[in-house]
Amino acid sequence: MPAAPLICVEHLTKRYGGVVALADMNLTVERGTIHAVVGENGAGKSTLMKALAGAVRPDGGEIRIEGEAVILDTPNAARRRGIGIVYQELSLFPERSVLANLFVNREPTRHGLISLRRMEDDSRAMLAELGLDVDLRAPLSRLSIGERQLVELCRVLLEEPRLIILDEPNSALNRRETERLFAVLERLRKRGATMLYVSHRLEEVFAITDRVTITRNGRDVLTRRTAELTIPEVIEGMIGRPQEALFPQPPPVRAGMKTRSIEVRNLTGGRLADVSFEAHSGEIVGLAGLEGSGVTDLMEILFGIRHAHSGSVTFPDGKGLPGNPTQAARRGICLVPADRRRNGLMLEKSIFFNIANVAIGARDDAPLWFLPNRAIERARRQIDALRIKAGSARVVAQELSGGNQQKVVIGKWLEIGPDVFLLDDPTRGVDVGAKREIYGLIRRMSADGGVVLFSSTELPELIGLCDRILIVYQGRLVGEVAAADVDGHTLLHFINTGEKPTSLEKAVS
Amino acid sequence: MTDGALPTKRERRGFRMPDEIGVITALVVMMVIIGVARPRFLNPINLFSLLGNTTFLGMLALGMVFLLAIREIDLSVGWMFNFSAVFAAILMVAGVNPWAAAFAGVLFGAGLGFVNGMLVVGLRLPAVIVTLGTYSMWQGLSLVANQGRAIVPSDTTSSYFSVIPTKLFGVLPVAALVFVVLAIVMHFVLHRTRFGYRVQAVGSNPEAAKYAGIPTGLVRLQTLVMMGALCGLSGVMYVGFRGAIDPQEGSDFVLVVIAAVIIGGTPLSGGHGTIIGAVVGMMIIQVISSGLIFFGIDATWSTFVTGAVIVLAVSLDQLIKYNRARRQMGAG
Repeated sequence: MPAAPLICVEHLTKRYGGVVALADMNLTVERGTIHAVVGENGAGKSTLMKALAGAVRPDGGEIRIEGEAVILDTPNAARRRGIGIVYQELSLFPERSVLANLFVNREPTRHGLISLRRMEDDSRAMLAELGLDVDLRAPLSRLSIGERQLVELCRVLLEEPRLIILDEPNSALNRRETERLFAVLERLRKRGATMLYVSHRLEEVFAITDRVTITRNGRDVLTRRTAELTIPEVIEGMIGRPQEALFPQPPPVRAGMKTRSIEVRNLTGGRLADVSFEAHSGEIVGLAGLEGSGVTDLMEILFGIRHAHSGSVTFPDGKGLPGNPTQAARRGICLVPADRRRNGLMLEKSIFFNIANVAIGARDDAPLWFLPNRAIERARRQIDALRIKAGSARVVAQELSGGNQQKVVIGKWLEIGPDVFLLDDPTRGVDVGAKREIYGLIRRMSADGGVVLFSSTELPELIGLCDRILIVYQGRLVGEVAAADVDGHTLLHFINTGEKPTSLEKAVS
Repeated sequence: MTDGALPTKRERRGFRMPDEIGVITALVVMMVIIGVARPRFLNPINLFSLLGNTTFLGMLALGMVFLLAIREIDLSVGWMFNFSAVFAAILMVAGVNPWAAAFAGVLFGAGLGFVNGMLVVGLRLPAVIVTLGTYSMWQGLSLVANQGRAIVPSDTTSSYFSVIPTKLFGVLPVAALVFVVLAIVMHFVLHRTRFGYRVQAVGSNPEAAKYAGIPTGLVRLQTLVMMGALCGLSGVMYVGFRGAIDPQEGSDFVLVVIAAVIIGGTPLSGGHGTIIGAVVGMMIIQVISSGLIFFGIDATWSTFVTGAVIVLAVSLDQLIKYNRARRQMGAG
């Protein structure tokens, strides 16, 4: 009889109030494998990981480690059972030294005192293996984000866990650091370590994992060997329908529509250096780049939040860059910011208050009066048009789901009928159904004569929605591809290296 | 199921009690208790003079509601009040028509508010820090101007000095009437005008307001100028009411004003405010201090009791919010 699998999760359930995070989750992880868990936001993968790490107590179901049923009700209980987790958000102490962070809560002692020397001795080998060469006594805050992520990994590895959970471990790493991390993971696997790997970057899942479990709506949909699957199959499993259906067909361009365009010349400022391009109404222009590449800076400069050092921009109204967001709003330039909760919404205010943000708050031609009944009426129009799921216009923004919140942000701009739409990762943290509707809205904006710049961290989205994609790498515009010509893999390579893949060169020539 | 339950609850909002019902009840209960024990307290003349006494601080509270709603605090209000009053009184002493001098005093107050506002917007500092400095600046300049003595306009034959202290129908002081009218106006400014909307929007989430194109700097400046103008108005009316301005008058205003606004239910976290609440809060403070006198308790206790009421008010507020949040968690 074969030995019991290392981890076996059966029929796990978890509810938060009325929201079902885990409906019926099953997962079996074999010893010595790297096992990927993929799924859309809200599919339940993070809750599952937290349940395994003892950070969340499930409502029902069973977790067995090597065949023995266990209760992981605290992080320490999970630790004792040999489960270590590397969190997506760093859980380190920036003001304390690297060493102190490596041995949080289990500092080795000598003569009753914490011994830094023993810490150094104990961690040296592991640090060398991770290729982390930093001053161990310096405060963690001096390290780059990537180095900190490796410190976090090192901290977990030093506890010698039987199962290592990696929750999007490379979200903050650059390409070289990611490669180094993958090499480390590969070595760990050869030595028989078992890992659970959570990521939404499917290319990476395919590059390093042995098995993959697809989750959707709190359930496991499918578990297979990675080699037996393709990326489109995984995406189909994640969203529950073929990928093409996710992107609506472009609506017919309105007859007699005035073509508008925006022209950017040698723009420098923020992280950007010497960026030039044009975008026209009727097309959707994608902006692709890693976090910190400068895509957000570009949007913020065009919206007047950040100032440019040099370069020129011509907007559809014939004028240059707006001096501040108020001017931008008055000139019909709109920005849907990436961080919706911080920059997009007044969470404790009602939908109608939020939707009046631009029409009443920003425009100078707005009436001097704010009449709630009229604002509610207008909000109702947007609620109907954008199919915002809310009982009434008085519902507080906080109570809406992510997708509906984003629709409110979009709705407040549609109120003024902008000419230029700057959409910075508008589908982040939005469920699939709402995503599809937002894609439809974006198509509509473009077909109605708006100039649309669209950025996303999800590459399939860029390829499926955009007509052409501009690649920003370390502040420079390094290339442009037609969405029809690229696949996710090539695009990923392009945004990670800034070098045009050879396959594309051929396609062009 | 949740989808069906929420809208009906929300749509029936028209029948909901106003948010101020709590403080209003508290005020009525206090007045009834004192009134039962000392019936003389409920005499209309006493009640209206109570309202009259809240006037000068109350006007400051009206402006302070806007400041808390925009997530700022103005600490310099007491000295803007004093400095404007001193300025107007000096003009009156110099022979300027008291009505014109009073008008100049209001503009002067607005000017002080403008300085506060320019510093806040220009230096991108919270108003609480800027006004911590201007608090002493206005105090100092006012002391320089009045040379440490009360300013007493000698010629009080002008109608200015007879109109303001007049009691209409023998009971309602004109100053109180001005205050009540002003409170109604400010209530509508906060809830029904573009400016009021912007104040609430900026206070609710300054970052989101900026990203929505709301001119946050301008709104802050306008709010602080309005605060200054209200201080000026309160100050010049005080001169008309008392016929003089003492060098220390206004020194202890700011904390009482903030207390009244908070008792009234305006949160320090910004985003919304209640003018009605602030007026009621001001009256609660006034009822406490005069109620104590009616009970023959030494007036020095009133400061302590006012403080205790603030702690009680914010505790109740926190309790209500906590319960509401818990109920939402259960339902959500």
